[in-house]
Amino acid sequence: MLGLAPDAASAKAAGGVAEPAKWAGTGCDDEAVWGECRGSGKSAYRTCADLTEPAFRCSCPSRKFPCKHSLGLLLLWAEGAVDGGPRPGWAAEWMEERRARAEKAVERRAASAAKARDPKTVERRERRVDDGLAELDRWLHDQVAHGLAQAEKAPYKMWDDVARRLVDAQASALAGHVRGLAAIPRRPDWPGRLLEEYALLRLLVRAYRRRDELPEGLRDTVRSRVGFTVPQDEVLADGEKVRDRWCVIGQRDTAQELLTTRRVWLRGRRTGRPALVLSFAAPGTSLDASLVVGTEIEADLAFYPGSPPLRALVAGRDGPVAPGRPAGTSVRAFLDEHAAALAQDPWIDRWPATLESVRLARADGGDLFAVDDAGDALPLRPIDPWRLLALSGGGPVTMAGEWSPRGLRPLAAWHDDEGTVIV
Amino acid sequence: MTAWDEHVTAALLGTERRVPPPLSLAAERSTPGAAGGPPPQDAEDGDAAGRLLDQAAVLTVRRRAGRVPAAGAPEPVALAPVEDAPAVPGPAATRLRRILVGEQIRVLPEWLDAAARHGLRVPAQSLPDLLERGRGDRSLRPLIVRAAGRRGVWLALQNTDWAYLVGAGDDPGGGPEVWETGTRNRRVAYLTRLRGTDPGRARELLRATWATEPAPDRAAFLATFAHGLSLDDEEFLESALEDRGKDVRQHASDLLARLPGSAYGERMAARARACLTPEKRRTRGRTRTWIRVEPPRAHDEDLARDGVPFHPSGSFAPRSGGEPVGTRAAWLREILARTPLSTWTELFATTPTEIVCLPVPEPDGRDVHIGWARAALAQHDAGWARALLKGGVLADEPEALADLVSVLPEAERDTAAADLLRWMKGRSDALRVLERVPGPWTGALASAVVATLDAAARPGLVKRITTREEHLVTQLCRLADLRLDPAVAPRLDHMDPTAAPAVTELIATLRFRAEMLKELAP
Repeated sequence: MLGLAPDAASAKAAGGVAEPAKWAGTGCDDEAVWGECRGSGKSAYRTCADLTEPAFRCSCPSRKFPCKHSLGLLLLWAEGAVDGGPRPGWAAEWMEERRARAEKAVERRAASAAKARDPKTVERRERRVDDGLAELDRWLHDQVAHGLAQAEKAPYKMWDDVARRLVDAQASALAGHVRGLAAIPRRPDWPGRLLEEYALLRLLVRAYRRRDELPEGLRDTVRSRVGFTVPQDEVLADGEKVRDRWCVIGQRDTAQELLTTRRVWLRGRRTGRPALVLSFAAPGTSLDASLVVGTEIEADLAFYPGSPPLRALVAGRDGPVAPGRPAGTSVRAFLDEHAAALAQDPWIDRWPATLESVRLARADGGDLFAVDDAGDALPLRPIDPWRLLALSGGGPVTMAGEWSPRGLRPLAAWHDDEGTVIV
Repeated sequence: MTAWDEHVTAALLGTERRVPPPLSLAAERSTPGAAGGPPPQDAEDGDAAGRLLDQAAVLTVRRRAGRVPAAGAPEPVALAPVEDAPAVPGPAATRLRRILVGEQIRVLPEWLDAAARHGLRVPAQSLPDLLERGRGDRSLRPLIVRAAGRRGVWLALQNTDWAYLVGAGDDPGGGPEVWETGTRNRRVAYLTRLRGTDPGRARELLRATWATEPAPDRAAFLATFAHGLSLDDEEFLESALEDRGKDVRQHASDLLARLPGSAYGERMAARARACLTPEKRRTRGRTRTWIRVEPPRAHDEDLARDGVPFHPSGSFAPRSGGEPVGTRAAWLREILARTPLSTWTELFATTPTEIVCLPVPEPDGRDVHIGWARAALAQHDAGWARALLKGGVLADEPEALADLVSVLPEAERDTAAADLLRWMKGRSDALRVLERVPGPWTGALASAVVATLDAAARPGLVKRITTREEHLVTQLCRLADLRLDPAVAPRLDHMDPTAAPAVTELIATLRFRAEMLKELAP
């Protein structure tokens, strides 16, 4: 529950608010909890939480979201201190508003999707991207022709300039990727890794150049990796819809410049399919908190076009959130799945892993590994291992994480006695 | 050198200097597991850099997709020992996580103590955060040791930051070699343990190295004699009265003063009897026994040897009149504090309660009572403590009285503290008394605290709350939040939170503790 809090201070404050004495007129039904909280001032704050998402509304002036009152109310509800009852006028009104707004949003999306893009704009953009990628290709050539050795001493500016030109060329996804490369020569074993990245960039440039010959899914993948975005409403309208019981297996926030990106990894219980839900937050805004690690929801996901389809949006939910433990695989099965995914999209650099019954192992140098029942091991990325170690006590756990060429980054673990633990 | 390494070398040097190695795509195709991306088209002639990049792309994807589980996998971490104690129930585990992120962090010791008392342990996933807290706060460590279970020790063995959990708690363990090689703290712990089981052996052990130990160590070791103190130690302590170290001498004389039937006690009693003498006086036709007080006239070497310095601490402190206490009164206090209390029951042939009530001319009476109070504290004499508390003497020495409360049997403490509190109603001294009464405050004491809060925070309709009262309430709330019995919380509900925000906080903390203890109770 406190995982929803925007920061530790809010979580702490929420505990203080979760006192039955501070609340009046609390009640709940299947979809919502509501109540009035007495704050420091005269008037009470009306707080209401929609349990299906969860979503919150509170009349307090706090700019944090969800605010401490909303969290406190949820804590009370979770402790069973809130009785069922009919919704008061204001709560019913708010839930109604929410529903109306959701419907309107659907209509609006449909309307804008129907509106065709201006073909001239599209053409201009394609030309710019073509030029930008051609320039990138020349730059890559130069790097390899003159030798990568100079990259070790090169300033960040070198990659930043390339990235900036790619932004001008409207290939924003590529720009972000190139900017990230500047950190590689500061790490051990950098020449190989830099060559890998340059080679894959070159592969992308060439694939884009031949986009008309590519099969549809691969073409979409290439386009999205270059920076062509698909509007959400188009995804919701035309994207592949998959109905499943989706386990939320991990979440990770990364900040690049001023934008925070939240990656939430899902795994379908019936289809076994992975999915990635991204959300973005500029400073001062809060990230989407509707998917909570360790829970599962019955939902329709709409996938962005691509091969294999991975990024998705939650198109519709059905029923409340329930705690859930994902089914895991062995290390070998995971590597097979990853290889199959790479065969479709060679640029994949992150793939969700859920490993069943793995134990932690420590190599002589102190590096950590996850070892499954068959004795197969995957290296873990250097992390603070203590929570994972404490939880497992050397025994087997189900572990979910993000696999990258550098190793597995654990995100969550499930233990018989201890439940879900976010690492 | 693998094909990949050759490619990396070529790329590092630059294709202008090194021709990229060839890569047979046909061989690629047939390599199992190399379900790579689109095969690179034949590079244009002369475009060595392009060819290198294309080949590297194939190799990269092949390497990534063809990954097999790490060969020669390391052995899994050894299993943690099975726990005897069950983990705390779910709600308590959740609350601990809330506490560890900072909510009501001050209740953490109580949580740990309650869990350990009920034979429960900290859930494994909270151990890293808890051990990290213990790293910064030594006072938590003994509690953590009790509640962390075997998993805690298992974890601490793998992280040197948490080594304190392994054999550094109250009782570090270890055999006789600890005495030979250990640090001062470990040696003190060893000696303390030995004093508990075999005081004589501990004394002989210390005697063997006594002359070679540095003075601070001698003082620390001698302090362990408080455990298992008996007349057998007398000779050793007497010799320590002439030690070079001041602290050593002080410890020796303090210990001797607590030893019933010692020669030291006799010497002090002789001095004390010279100071206090019963005297029959006739007032209003009735004969009463008075105590005539004659403070010592001079200080001598023998008195100094027995632990009463020329300027005992407090001899320069002002009395109520503004004059300093003076050395003579201070000597009197010290002598009385070190005299066996049985001296007086024998001399006056009556009970402590009656002795305390005997009239004494002021200002010496105060010195006498202070001396007795110190003696009762040092000698843990509950009878005298009770008499001094009930006797209504020492009204302006709240700390001395509060200390006496700790000498009483546990069952009497709450009532005694409550009486004290009522007696000095509304005075800020009350806080100084309460500070010295450890929790939990239950029964009569809890009622008295609630009454004090009530009186201060709920003035009449006309009277506004004064700053002084508000200050008192705030201080009292801070003092009470961890010590007051949480069951008292409902009795504070009627209080107006706008009068003193501290009361709201107090109630919140008490509720938090009440829920916490309920979750931890079996």
